[in-house]
Amino acid sequence: MAPHTDILALAVHRREDGAFERLVEQFEQQLFNYVYRLIQNVHDAQEVVQDTFLRAHKALTRQYDETRCTALLVRPWLYRIARNLAMNKRRGLRSRIEQPLPAEEHVGFNPAVRPPALLCSIETREELERLDRALAELPVEARELVFLRFIEEMSYAEIAKTTGLGESVLRGKVFRSLRQLRDTLASNEETAHAV
Amino acid sequence: MRCESALIRLDELRAGELPADEANEVREHLATCRECDDDRAAFDALATKLPALVRACPTSCVDTVRELCAHGYDVVEVGARAVMVAFSSRGITRVSPVTVTETKFRDEYRQRFGRELESRELPATLRGEVEAALRGERLKRADVDIDELPEFERKVLLKLLEIPPGEVRSYAWVARETGSPAAVRAVGNACARNPVPFVVPCHRVVPSSGGVGNYGFGERMKRELLAGEGVDLETIESMAKRGFRYVASRTTGIYCFPTCRDAKRIRDENRLLVRDERDATAKGLRPCQHCRPLARSA
Repeated sequence: MAPHTDILALAVHRREDGAFERLVEQFEQQLFNYVYRLIQNVHDAQEVVQDTFLRAHKALTRQYDETRCTALLVRPWLYRIARNLAMNKRRGLRSRIEQPLPAEEHVGFNPAVRPPALLCSIETREELERLDRALAELPVEARELVFLRFIEEMSYAEIAKTTGLGESVLRGKVFRSLRQLRDTLASNEETAHAV
Repeated sequence: MRCESALIRLDELRAGELPADEANEVREHLATCRECDDDRAAFDALATKLPALVRACPTSCVDTVRELCAHGYDVVEVGARAVMVAFSSRGITRVSPVTVTETKFRDEYRQRFGRELESRELPATLRGEVEAALRGERLKRADVDIDELPEFERKVLLKLLEIPPGEVRSYAWVARETGSPAAVRAVGNACARNPVPFVVPCHRVVPSSGGVGNYGFGERMKRELLAGEGVDLETIESMAKRGFRYVASRTTGIYCFPTCRDAKRIRDENRLLVRDERDATAKGLRPCQHCRPLARSA
């Protein structure tokens, strides 16, 4: 992560010019992706990300003092706020969300700013879409852990801070989530071939 | 090492996060266990593909968030009159004379609207509107953002926008026109709480009983504003003292508020003074359709 993120919290607290904008720009992409994996709806995810920054702004400028802002680890803190808000939202949406995703919601996979070399060929594109679909079919906890560990590439310590789970528990859960993803992918392929 | 223990360490082995001795143990196990080594290959392949699943965030929320966190404020001056203006992306949210300090303005704003204010340049359209309002000109449009006010206050303020410069209406008139004829006091309170004075002309509302009534910035200011817009306060007050509220024209048989633009055109020899609505009906007069001294539904 950028080395100056943690100074950023203090800058926002001191209301330095443009500090808050920098914070938003730096984290909105990742937070959107995270929240999207949790609630799987583009519109709601955007709303949650917006609310996350509102909360963060209020906390940094009005609730936290200098010492607290200095000691703050911004990334897991923001993820934690986003997670709580997303879970609240999910609770409200539960009946809708637990049903299989509507087709339109599913397909619109548009890869983001960091297009890996992988994306070049159509085959790998299709492969990624299959992967995306398989991930979407996992239970929410598995989706979350796969995202944090393999897409956002967080350390176990950071994941622990974000989710509130212990590190050793996490290792097992992350492994089982990844295995579940592999199995889902495999069984999806089987059904595809069978048709 | 058992399969299970090896498997949950595969991820850290891949990432190079495992302590050397543990890593060796896992590698030893993989060398002997074909099944686990296959798993490792599959997981590593997945782990390399997964980072590509980053989605593009459809639109950046920087502007929305900044807007939601803090509204802007700026100073507008016209002649000797200067005001502080707070605004959102939708329009003017607050106007206050510069007699308050910036800190106080911000504190008040935070208390009433729960938002921070930051110094930002007022967009030209809004600036033009505030300047025109300070000069007492008729506004072609008034972009005020009053969406967060209670419904009644909003209705009252929108009604006030219909009163043109140079004219005044009574609190009772505003109450009747907003559909709550008994809520005269409430209209007074809504005017008192008007967050955007000048732009929404709460100074153009006066008591039916005569006088100019109260004003947030003092009665003198209200008189000055009205006189500046060309309202003949003396005549209205002397009429009110004698118990007359409306004027009528003998030729058309129409009665108006004394400041109505149509009333001003009545020649002295044709001018009739009217006490109230009942007096007008008795004289066979009908209400003006511009200033509407009587609600249309009545």
